[in-house]
Amino acid sequence: MISLQRVTKTYKNGVTALTDVSVEVQKGEFVFIVGQSGSGKSTMIRLLLKEEATTRGDIYVGGKNLNKMSSWDVPKLRRNVGTVFQDYKLLTDKTVFDNVAFGLEVIGKQKHVIDQRVPEILEYVGLGDKVNNYPDELSGGEQQRVSIARACVNRPLVLLADEPTGNLDPNTSVDIMRLLDKVNRIGTTVVMATHDQAIVDAMRKRVIELDKGHVVRDQSRGVYS
Amino acid sequence: MRLDYYFRETASGLRRNGVVAFAAMSTAFIALFLFGLALLIARQFDLVIEAWTGNVQVAVYLDDPARPDTVTRIQTNLQQLDAVGSIEYWDKVETCAAYRELFEGQPVFQEGVDCEKAIPTSLRINLADPSQFEQITAALGCEADGVTQEIQCAEPGVRDVSDYRDLLDRLTAITRVLSIGVLSIAVIMLASAIALVANTLRMGMFARRKEIGIMRLVGATNWRIRVPFLIEGMVEALIGAIAALAALFVIKVFFIDRLRGELQFFPLIRNADVLAVAPWILIAAAAVAVIAGTIGMRRFLDV
Repeated sequence: MISLQRVTKTYKNGVTALTDVSVEVQKGEFVFIVGQSGSGKSTMIRLLLKEEATTRGDIYVGGKNLNKMSSWDVPKLRRNVGTVFQDYKLLTDKTVFDNVAFGLEVIGKQKHVIDQRVPEILEYVGLGDKVNNYPDELSGGEQQRVSIARACVNRPLVLLADEPTGNLDPNTSVDIMRLLDKVNRIGTTVVMATHDQAIVDAMRKRVIELDKGHVVRDQSRGVYS
Repeated sequence: MRLDYYFRETASGLRRNGVVAFAAMSTAFIALFLFGLALLIARQFDLVIEAWTGNVQVAVYLDDPARPDTVTRIQTNLQQLDAVGSIEYWDKVETCAAYRELFEGQPVFQEGVDCEKAIPTSLRINLADPSQFEQITAALGCEADGVTQEIQCAEPGVRDVSDYRDLLDRLTAITRVLSIGVLSIAVIMLASAIALVANTLRMGMFARRKEIGIMRLVGATNWRIRVPFLIEGMVEALIGAIAALAALFVIKVFFIDRLRGELQFFPLIRNADVLAVAPWILIAAAAVAVIAGTIGMRRFLDV
């Protein structure tokens, strides 16, 4: 599903964020990317979304080589890759329903599709009773659920999560992880960058550890360190 | 669904950007108004030139009634001269029809005067070499009276020869100076209209950078993101264009129409002339919107 082949990324300011990284992720896997701040986790996420291009090496997502992808095809890639971030990225002037609907609306989905899928996914993430609330009226965990709902409403092949529990307390984090696990179980490949040790240790999933841009460990059913 | 989406996005963009959008629209209005004004000034002078000189450098007026063989003879003679470029024969019917069109809605002659009696037939000549005007007077045996400056011609059938070279040159020069002057101010104003429209688009995009960020993340196409802003620019330019056209009509009604009937033998622009500049104003407005869109959205929206 995802394949990084000897990927190096050097930013314009000369900082090398990833060096010669090769990683294979199969369809339906759940993978943690761990490492300290600045180890290259976020760069990897950005590369997978083609927000940045590699300096050297190739990246394949769903069989497509991102380096050979024209800018016209980037939106198609992103429709197949859901994203969740630490700061939720919700629109505060829209209700929960409208935030999730926005993700479908702007890729041109018909209204009847939106009216069917949005309540469905909100029910799935456990927010069936909050559809008409605004983000400010929700707890952090609930806001993150909205963002996961938005990421999953278009049924992506891959879900990328960049520190999704970074702003949440431990109990709420566990709830979010249960939800991500649930999303993974219906076949979505999940790649999650984190430095939340407790969660990684509890989940016992595959762990890829980055240190200063190098892969120093790739362990199935691993722990944080 | 789609149209509805674009319409809502555009409307909310204009609302949010109220003051800046107003600045952009009023600049577009002034720019397009000046642009239209330059075109109308040129048109007004074209009408005057047409009326006063028939758009030719020299007119040879013929004695009434002009016999066909006389006309042919004089025309053939003149055509042989190096100085002569083209010759056109205007009979009374043609000349009067042209005047009626030119002075539509305003009297040319005092009432009771019949155009076809008052207007002589003429040969209208454009010179290949304007400095060789004397060739014509020489060929027709004309001489200016030393005292009255009236031209008397020996050639039978010729009543008078009018030399419009100076008048034509001067009128053309005035037209050029006026319309180029106004046009250059219009161009400067158009440039600032472009800058201001581009700025509103940029501010709109900045205000909505979070939405745009999310749109990109979920895979909205670039056009999906850009079109609402492009429409917003179009609407601003279009409102400016409509206001400019309205202002030109106001000018025409309150300034030009007041002169109608006051001036003898001075044709004035009509509604049709104002309408004729409308497409040009709309084209200029579209250009403003497109250029502003290109400038405003460059860099900001790369994938």
